[in-house]
Amino acid sequence: MQDGEVKDKNEISEGADFKVYELGYLLAPTIAEENIPVSYGNLKDLVSSFGGELISDEIPKMIPLAYSMSKVVANVRNKFNTAYFGWSKFVMDSDKILELKKHLDLDSNFIRFLILKTVKENTIAAKRFVRGDSYKRLPTRRSIDSETAVPINKEEIDKEIDALVAV
Amino acid sequence: MKQDYFSANNIKYIDYKDIEILKKFLNPNGKIMSHKRTGVTAKNQRGLTSAIKHARFLGLLPFLVK
Repeated sequence: MQDGEVKDKNEISEGADFKVYELGYLLAPTIAEENIPVSYGNLKDLVSSFGGELISDEIPKMIPLAYSMSKVVANVRNKFNTAYFGWSKFVMDSDKILELKKHLDLDSNFIRFLILKTVKENTIAAKRFVRGDSYKRLPTRRSIDSETAVPINKEEIDKEIDALVAV
Repeated sequence: MKQDYFSANNIKYIDYKDIEILKKFLNPNGKIMSHKRTGVTAKNQRGLTSAIKHARFLGLLPFLVK
């Protein structure tokens, strides 16, 4: 009897398949800058309402888009060249994530969003490394431009030359 | 670039938000470089490709540079 009970508990915990997801999204630039924290908070509440546990996130900030996107809202096609880009990482039941997607599909504030499976570890560690490099570069550029720029750009220059030769 | 960039820099998960890194693997037209040119391992090249495609979808990287 006891064994049976234990098995049941295991089944329940296995049934709830928790995975790490990342939601990247673009909010329409028509939203006023003051209201961004509101929609950001709403999203957080939405994720937690679906039983999601936030790991990390970033407040949406205005970015220029690499190409213009269009979205039809209420039979009007809107074109966007800028958007608020934000992301959040959370642990959620794999069954609930579809419901979250359906919910987000109906939200007109989002231009686009992307739900990805990811890892719990901080993946932006690499980004910091790169950023640190670029921060270091900035002050040196002013003083000694030629000495610092040459060793850093070697790979890029090589690649550019390769690309030019290929074309 | 013969050595794998990602193992050299100890990057285990290629993130679509790291556009500064991803840009290194695009040619001037915005196309993804072949693994021959990038020197990245097959596994990382697959991860790199999907990261670039995710970044493109969210407007962080261009599909085409004219």
